[in-house]
Amino acid sequence: MKLLRLIRIFVGATLAAQLEYRANFLGAVLASLGEAGVALLGLAVLFGQPGTTSVGGWSFQQALLVTGFFMLTEGVISVFIQPNMSKIAEAVRTGSMDFVLLKPIDAQFNVSTRHLNALRATDLCIGAALIVYAASQLEVTWPGILLSALLYLCAVVIVYCIWLALSTTAFWFVKTQNAAELFNGVFGAARFPVTAFPLPIRALLTFVVPVAFITTVPAQAMTGTLPTALAVAAPVVAGVLLLLTRLFWLRALASYTSASS
Amino acid sequence: MVEYRAEVVIWILSGTLSLVMMLVWMAQADAAPGGQVRGYSAPEFASYFLSIWLVSQVLVVWVAWELDFEVRQGTLSPKLLRPMDPLWGHYAAHLAERVVRLPPLLLLVALFAWLSGASLTADPLAYLVALGLAFLGFSLRFLYEYTIGLLAFWTESSTSFQELIWLVYAALGGIFAPLAFYPPWVQQVALWTPFPYMLGLPAQLLAGKATLTDAGRGALVLLVWLVIFWVVRLAVWRAGLRKYGAVGA
Repeated sequence: MKLLRLIRIFVGATLAAQLEYRANFLGAVLASLGEAGVALLGLAVLFGQPGTTSVGGWSFQQALLVTGFFMLTEGVISVFIQPNMSKIAEAVRTGSMDFVLLKPIDAQFNVSTRHLNALRATDLCIGAALIVYAASQLEVTWPGILLSALLYLCAVVIVYCIWLALSTTAFWFVKTQNAAELFNGVFGAARFPVTAFPLPIRALLTFVVPVAFITTVPAQAMTGTLPTALAVAAPVVAGVLLLLTRLFWLRALASYTSASS
Repeated sequence: MVEYRAEVVIWILSGTLSLVMMLVWMAQADAAPGGQVRGYSAPEFASYFLSIWLVSQVLVVWVAWELDFEVRQGTLSPKLLRPMDPLWGHYAAHLAERVVRLPPLLLLVALFAWLSGASLTADPLAYLVALGLAFLGFSLRFLYEYTIGLLAFWTESSTSFQELIWLVYAALGGIFAPLAFYPPWVQQVALWTPFPYMLGLPAQLLAGKATLTDAGRGALVLLVWLVIFWVVRLAVWRAGLRKYGAVGA
């Protein structure tokens, strides 16, 4: 309960700060449209070839569902995750992490929820609109939608854990802003259903970097084509990652020596 | 730049869109009856997209962000006191980064070519011509991105325009698919833009699918565009300086 109240205060504070710069809104909208353009163009060219009716066994509408989840995740990252994570390295470098540790709330909770980039909410809207549009063209059932929502929650947890783990390395390497670039490089593959890739890459995207769980699995749940094994695996992967990153974070805090000492 | 070797490698790896498209198209070709999509087999897709990736790495330009920063923070002011257009400093920095980027890049290309079964042309002349085209393409891209960066004099969203232009560059340059895969009217429009000649053409040369006559024509088009953007850049620069009121000045 206390944590929920804190989240409300944090959100209010960052929103107030961001509304000061309304001119940036146009820029954010353009950036979101650019993102959506990239995702849709790739699909359009693939399906635009004569004789092509499916990509990796997915019809156009089904693949559009994956693109919707991709855009939604882009939104979640740029609204909720990145604004916080990019500040961890900065805080370690300048030593302002000290203040975070002194506060009477959990440090991981504080660094993960303090900031917000409301300007990129357009990504969330575009993603949600794509999902709704694609789903309306397909046969979906309510249990499917429910399962999909649950699995997408796991997906968000997975994304958060990967970002937190990458950002936590800042406690040792100090300069790790670029780690985010690496994640984006791999995450770009989530634009397409994982079955659209050659077999060895598919295994890589499922077991080594769990990109498949972020977009493909929720989309499969919605269309009712999800193998039971994957439905069970997603929460397990999310749970294990959450535990591991928590341990990693505590380990990093233990080795934190502040900036001047 | 040599100081930032690790970051250069990360920047190389972050531009993965053409590699993602390569993998998807390879799987598409393998699944298609006859093992081909529009006459491209999986190894041919690999050769094409790996070449695109290689050329796009040579064309990387980030000057719009630097200009945006310099104009907003006012660090542009001391540069204006020098008897040289700040353009050349940025240009030299970009060229220098290319020198650091090439060795790890070529290693990665060799590794990916071996993994994906791609085969680049063995003709040394093609590499030389492709390098020349890529150099022209880089100079042009630098000029037009510089012009977009200068919009920072008027708006705070100049880097967002840059992202939209990138989308056109990626689409018509051939990062999503070879230009021949697009509808005919898109191809017709594309021929009047510089994008197919700066990215797709050198890549096709490396993949062994374009001739030297194509390269000559492409170079001519690029030169015309270079002249156009040289003039536009200069006009925007002069108009911008009149508008510029540095922070704290």
